[in-house]
Amino acid sequence: MIQQSTQPIIHFQGIEKSFGGAKALSDVSLTVHRGTVHGLVGQNGAGKSTLIKLLAGLHRPDAGQVEIDGEAYDHLTPHLVESLGIHFIHQDRLLVPSFTVGEALFLGREPRIPGTPFLDRRQMQRRAQEVLQRYFGLSLPNSALISQLSTAEKQIVQITRALLDRPKILVFDEPTAALVKREADLLFTLIRRLRDEGITILYISHYLQEIEALCDVVTVLRNGRHVATKPIAETSAAEIAGLMVNRDIGDLFPIREKSPGAALLTVEGLSATGRYRNVGFTLYRGEVLGLTGLLGSGAKDVLRTLFGLETAEEGTVTVAEQAPWRASPVQAARRKLALVPEDRRRHGVALDLSVSENTTLASLPRFTRLGLVDRASEAAEADRLITRLQIKTAGREALLRTLSGGNQQKVAIAKWLSRHSDIYLLDEPTVGVDIAAKVEIYALIAELAEKGAGIIVLSSDLPELIGLTDRILIFFRGEIAREVVSDTITEDALLAEVTGSSEATRYVG
Amino acid sequence: MSAVPALGAERRLVEAASRLALPVALVAVFLLFSALAPGFLAAANLQSVLVNNFTLLSIVAVAMTFAVSAGGIDLSVGTAVDFASFAFVSLVLAGQPVPLALAAGLGGGAVVGLFNAVLIAGIGISPFLATLGTLFIGRSVQQLLTNGGNPVYLPPAGVPESFHLLGRGSLAGLPVPLLIAALVIALAAVILARSRFGRVVTAVGIEAEVVRYSGLPLKAHLAATYVLVALIAAVAGLVLTSTVTVYIPNSGNAFLLNAIGAAFIGTTLHRHGRPNIAGTVLGVLLLSLVANGLLMSGLNFYWQQVGTGLLIFTVLALSFASRKV
Repeated sequence: MIQQSTQPIIHFQGIEKSFGGAKALSDVSLTVHRGTVHGLVGQNGAGKSTLIKLLAGLHRPDAGQVEIDGEAYDHLTPHLVESLGIHFIHQDRLLVPSFTVGEALFLGREPRIPGTPFLDRRQMQRRAQEVLQRYFGLSLPNSALISQLSTAEKQIVQITRALLDRPKILVFDEPTAALVKREADLLFTLIRRLRDEGITILYISHYLQEIEALCDVVTVLRNGRHVATKPIAETSAAEIAGLMVNRDIGDLFPIREKSPGAALLTVEGLSATGRYRNVGFTLYRGEVLGLTGLLGSGAKDVLRTLFGLETAEEGTVTVAEQAPWRASPVQAARRKLALVPEDRRRHGVALDLSVSENTTLASLPRFTRLGLVDRASEAAEADRLITRLQIKTAGREALLRTLSGGNQQKVAIAKWLSRHSDIYLLDEPTVGVDIAAKVEIYALIAELAEKGAGIIVLSSDLPELIGLTDRILIFFRGEIAREVVSDTITEDALLAEVTGSSEATRYVG
Repeated sequence: MSAVPALGAERRLVEAASRLALPVALVAVFLLFSALAPGFLAAANLQSVLVNNFTLLSIVAVAMTFAVSAGGIDLSVGTAVDFASFAFVSLVLAGQPVPLALAAGLGGGAVVGLFNAVLIAGIGISPFLATLGTLFIGRSVQQLLTNGGNPVYLPPAGVPESFHLLGRGSLAGLPVPLLIAALVIALAAVILARSRFGRVVTAVGIEAEVVRYSGLPLKAHLAATYVLVALIAAVAGLVLTSTVTVYIPNSGNAFLLNAIGAAFIGTTLHRHGRPNIAGTVLGVLLLSLVANGLLMSGLNFYWQQVGTGLLIFTVLALSFASRKV
């Protein structure tokens, strides 16, 4: 058993934070003790990342305060946070790819040759090697380019950069999402060692197994509230999963006649190194099929491959009876596939095009006579879809950026309705969408399915997935780990499958 | 609630005001030089503005507008002008029929466009860098072809009559070069604003990834855009050569900066600030009037650049300032 001091190092007191009308954190109080590994878990939208951004000084709390080392602050700034010895390791906080290891490690705090403005490259090299040898037993030349490193090596550079500052607190945000098992194990060993040297670790992860194996204490957030903080010895992955699940969601989902028809899309033996392995399934007419999995589970890559945005190395995708094709978005759209991408504002709609221009972008040939766009029939189509999808806009000529997130998403879907698509691939279709628009989008999905379209919904919103779909394919580390019938699975059980802690669940449940 | 429609009306007013910056500047410049420069208002002078300043620049600036619409830029428009000019002159000198020489001229421009298309759509180099490279390569190629940059003259005697029609002829009292420019402008306006191709090019300029995610061939549209830009610029090269009966290596680059300026000034005319042909043409008119007016008022030639620069600032500043209110 590790010696635990009872001295608090971070204490959040009554933290409140709203974005627009949405409450991200309400009255969150939480203490992290010195020299412990403290796990932080919660579903998407539970408030984990908001809390971490508060700690990083990127957001300002609306109310409440943060105490670091006994000193109280109403808000932090990134600069202050760094001077307090708090460092963040995040896989998305990318290092500049064209920098060398040395430049990345010392960016913004380069040691200088005393009395001159020149960089002390020798000292940089020596200090970097010292840390790398001591903690990782490896040497990376300072002159290597970041872009040449593997994900794990990039993470090592990030950690080394933090360690060079002799930090008091290290925050790991989903550090294993892109690591293979062996690399993750090495990371855990390192984290335990850092803890034993007195560094406090805040560890955020979706993988409950990791939390169970690594953390001393775990805190669960749900809907922006602090649900529980427990010593890991007194809880289990199953209990944590139960605490994470949001049980109070109303009946948002339409009742739908579920009668799958003929096979519409068949995927066989799809593989791509490092992304997914041997993925196969069939989508039927009138079916809503769910895909889910953690970041890096391969579910998103498969969806993108279906639309030709990524390529598989092996396997085939067949639409109806037609022969498999060489994938490209052009070909996919021609085969009546439609993609509503997750990053709506960069990929789904063009914010500076009008509602009308966005709506007909994928179906322009239908509105073209002799190479010229027939404005009258284009306007009629835009008006028809604005009415049908109840898109709230000042008019078809309004720019997309003047619409709310939910209405932008409806336009992203309308674009494919206009193209008469048959197979809809919806990637996190209701992220950033208000509840009213959410319900309308659910109703639209049900209506499309009833009219014979096939729909694949990729979502990490588990209640949504269970409520909306007929079947769910659960991806885990690149493979379809399980297929479940949506009616027969509870949210707790689904979460356990997604996070890979199903063994624990079965034990208890 | 009652404040909402008022705010809407106010916003519309502001929007209209910001779009007026260019036309207002045009009228102001016209009135200013009418007062300051004797002879500015003379019919002969105004015609010379149109034929000498406006015609060629408007064609090149229209070409540039397509590149800017697609979210890029083409620094090698002048290279396309020169290559067209060189191919045209070479074939006429070789005694080939004028129509064939004209076709070869367009082909010469198309080579530049295809080269850019490969760099930008094929390899994925940013338009700025790709066309900058083309500009440099084009410059060297022309020097190599002409023994270090010697002009290629067409002897007055050895040129067929049909040649002169293009550069010096007139139809219904209007100079042919001006008619050609008008035709190019009209066609370009229809293509950019009304055609499916123009719509997709505009979308590429606004958010290229959305075009790709909509199942449209992004690279094909990018490639076609840069070929079209070069073809339009090639027309300017043909008109230029017919007018002056000489090919001067690397003379096309003279249009580059004004063409860019006109295309960007022109965006202020559009409701959403998009590149558009009407705006570009007004921009060219403005730059042409200023160049001529400064000359007529007897100002030092070198001050003309300062005048042009100030004017671009003024129009853009007026437009953006009223937009921010």
